[in-house]
Amino acid sequence: MDLPAGGVLGVVGPNGAGKTTLFSLLLGFLRPSAGTVEVDGLPPRRYARERGFAYLPERFDLPHGWPVRRALLALARLDGHGKAGAVAAADAALERFALDDVADRRLGELSRGMLQRVGLAQASLSRGRVVVLDEPTQGLDPLWRIRLRGWIAELRSDGRTVLLASHELDEVERLADRVLLLRDGAVRELVEAPRSEAGRVYRLEVRADESLLRAAFPDAAPIGGGGGGDGGGDDDGGAWRVTASDDADLSRRLAALIDGGGVVGAVVPAEQRLEERVRRSLEEPR
Amino acid sequence: MSSLRLALLSLRARRARLLGLFAFGAVFLLAGTAAAVLLRGPDGDVHIDDLFIIGGYPLASSALLLGWLLGRLPLIATLVLMAGVVADDRRDSLGRLVAARPASRLAVYGWRAALLALVAFALCALVMPVFDLLLLGEWAGPATLVLIAAYVLVYGALTLLLSVWTRGDAWIALLLALLAMSWAALDRAGSLPVSPGARQLFGFLLPPQQQLFALENAFAAIEPIPWPAFWYAAGYALVLLILAGLSLLRREV
Repeated sequence: MDLPAGGVLGVVGPNGAGKTTLFSLLLGFLRPSAGTVEVDGLPPRRYARERGFAYLPERFDLPHGWPVRRALLALARLDGHGKAGAVAAADAALERFALDDVADRRLGELSRGMLQRVGLAQASLSRGRVVVLDEPTQGLDPLWRIRLRGWIAELRSDGRTVLLASHELDEVERLADRVLLLRDGAVRELVEAPRSEAGRVYRLEVRADESLLRAAFPDAAPIGGGGGGDGGGDDDGGAWRVTASDDADLSRRLAALIDGGGVVGAVVPAEQRLEERVRRSLEEPR
Repeated sequence: MSSLRLALLSLRARRARLLGLFAFGAVFLLAGTAAAVLLRGPDGDVHIDDLFIIGGYPLASSALLLGWLLGRLPLIATLVLMAGVVADDRRDSLGRLVAARPASRLAVYGWRAALLALVAFALCALVMPVFDLLLLGEWAGPATLVLIAAYVLVYGALTLLLSVWTRGDAWIALLLALLAMSWAALDRAGSLPVSPGARQLFGFLLPPQQQLFALENAFAAIEPIPWPAFWYAAGYALVLLILAGLSLLRREV
């Protein structure tokens, strides 16, 4: 199996499917019992030693007596930052993950969610082109889940390759370009996320004048029979197939539509939802 | 040097153990002071035999136990500080965080082990000469430091090697130390019920307690340091360190 560089690869599967084992092989923690693993043409351990991975383990934990800032500084130094660079990187990570207030507290004093943010912060210190996040949303509140999406979007736009294992299918569907379905240690399916060239495709149910709709979504295409969507080109309501490059782009376009007087009934990913794909794939006989 | 910061943090994580060892050392010094005050004769020597008169067999045997333990302080300090030197990182996620980074694991764990060994050495070098001064009234010379260094090298390297493979590192090292001590004592007495070949083989594989005893005896008798014994112990430690390094490179994380 070849995974192309860049973009976000979601890895999903039931407990024991092999998500963490796959990551462990990729990161060089484990050796494959058969076959080989290469990252950018190098054995994983050599790749780690020469370039490094950004990595959040499934159960992030460090000695509880370590103060947050000093832990980040030490790990930043291991990431290859110089003395001043490590301080700057640690400070930036503390700020990004809103850990300034607990910078001098010991890790053992932090809540589960805050500890997970420290885990994300230490992963953000790395300049590695491959980012491996094993269950990154664990313990995060809804606000931080949203912020995590922003960080992953930044990593993607920076051209880095993000591998993301999660049981949160909505989150994976939202973030991933491709999704690897695992079961019993084997790849069941590699699913392309429902995106067009322009971005992600949505089914939009809206009551709006067609010109207003097209101002917000120029490529809007009606779904179902009848000219101009279920409801035609009038404002009786109808279903349309629209695209947006990402969540932020979708929000901006919807805001324009609503500001112009459109009434949005629903907006959902247009393609079959990941949850259904996973269910179908995992319920198939082996 | 990037690994040094992490090593210093590892020492911080062992703060409770370090305090415990300081308390342990303080007990010896208190016992030494008490013995010096109560038992120093007009000739200036401390007469431990007088403990029988003061406190009978229980007090005398307690003093003997304390003395035996003090002789084992380098072993105890090394095992306590080095326990989990690598293995603890597999319990939390630090081992994997280190392995994923562009850093040499040999440097990370090498610095850590060296720092912990140095602290164990420094602690013993503080306590043991002071104890000698209290009881003997004079410093035994660099022999004490050589003895401490030999113990720290041998058992530090052994614990490091074991720690790469198992979380029971210090306990197994302690077991091997006791086995080696018993083996060396029986060997010295000519009481080993095994063939000469087996005797040599086990003597070679087990920690070099014969050599460590030779260093101890020379120290107790204030004789010249038996350097061949020290170099044998250092060579044994070097082999263990090389094995530990190779294991670190091979072992899955």
